[in-house]
Amino acid sequence: MNKITTIILTSICLIVPVLAQRPEQDYSTDQPGVRFAPLQIYIDSGSKSLAAYQFELKAVAGQIKIVGVEGGQHEAFKEAPYYDPAALANDRIIIAAFSTGKDLPTGRTRIATIHLQIIGDAEPKYELKLIVAADADAKEIPAEITFEKGE
Amino acid sequence: MTEKNKYFYEDLDLRIPSRLSNDLKAIFEPQAGVPPEIDRAVMDRAHKYFSAVQSSQGRRRRVHWAWRVAAAAAVIIFAFSLDLTKQTGPITESFSISKTQAIDIDRNGRVDILDAFKLARHIESADRTETAWDVNGDGQIDRSDVDMVALTAVRLDKGVI
Repeated sequence: MNKITTIILTSICLIVPVLAQRPEQDYSTDQPGVRFAPLQIYIDSGSKSLAAYQFELKAVAGQIKIVGVEGGQHEAFKEAPYYDPAALANDRIIIAAFSTGKDLPTGRTRIATIHLQIIGDAEPKYELKLIVAADADAKEIPAEITFEKGE
Repeated sequence: MTEKNKYFYEDLDLRIPSRLSNDLKAIFEPQAGVPPEIDRAVMDRAHKYFSAVQSSQGRRRRVHWAWRVAAAAAVIIFAFSLDLTKQTGPITESFSISKTQAIDIDRNGRVDILDAFKLARHIESADRTETAWDVNGDGQIDRSDVDMVALTAVRLDKGVI
């Protein structure tokens, strides 16, 4: 009997702390004031073709969690871009992608969509910074980055 | 069976005389039956013995089940600790930050997506390559090295490289 008690108690001691950590990773929608919204990211490279980009997004007001990242509208950037998985469930992310293909977008194009969990009623504010944009020869080009909030 | 033996067995009278039968009974028949108290004592001891065996088997079975439950719990804990439900990016390979010294492909003092882009262009055009570009150390310079450079570029904790 003592053995069984020891085993059960040991199991409980191990399981409880693990289970206690789980709720932090839940994306529950049951909480009041929690909603999900996409953020569309655009780069306007003017007349130059866009072959590579890297940008950083962070929330400067409000409480958000990044829950997913999608590729863009043009074939060259349709694949999911590179990002640090640690950015998920965080409020800051660095996203980058490149294309070695011949067909590249020019002008204003949607390069990525970031899916957000917005917590609370306060409208979040974002800081978006283009780190680099380059053409097919890997030369830096001037470009403008903007975002649009989706529903 | 011979002819002679046949006649011998036919003539043989197999009946035992009653006196001999009584004498044999007197010699070999048990003197008395088992007294009921001895019978009961034997049955009691047998009952005690088998119930002890049964209870030790039951205890052993319960301990085995407890170990199975504990093992299952350990497997569950291990699975949770791996965090299999966590969503990951395109590639989740991890590597040492010390490698980033080798992946500043354009040697401009920082690792960004242009380093990965330039390395991809070198690989696709099959022109010169440097052994230092084998970032993952697998002896080949290929797309997995490009992915590693790109993932270094987007790391949140990389600081200034």
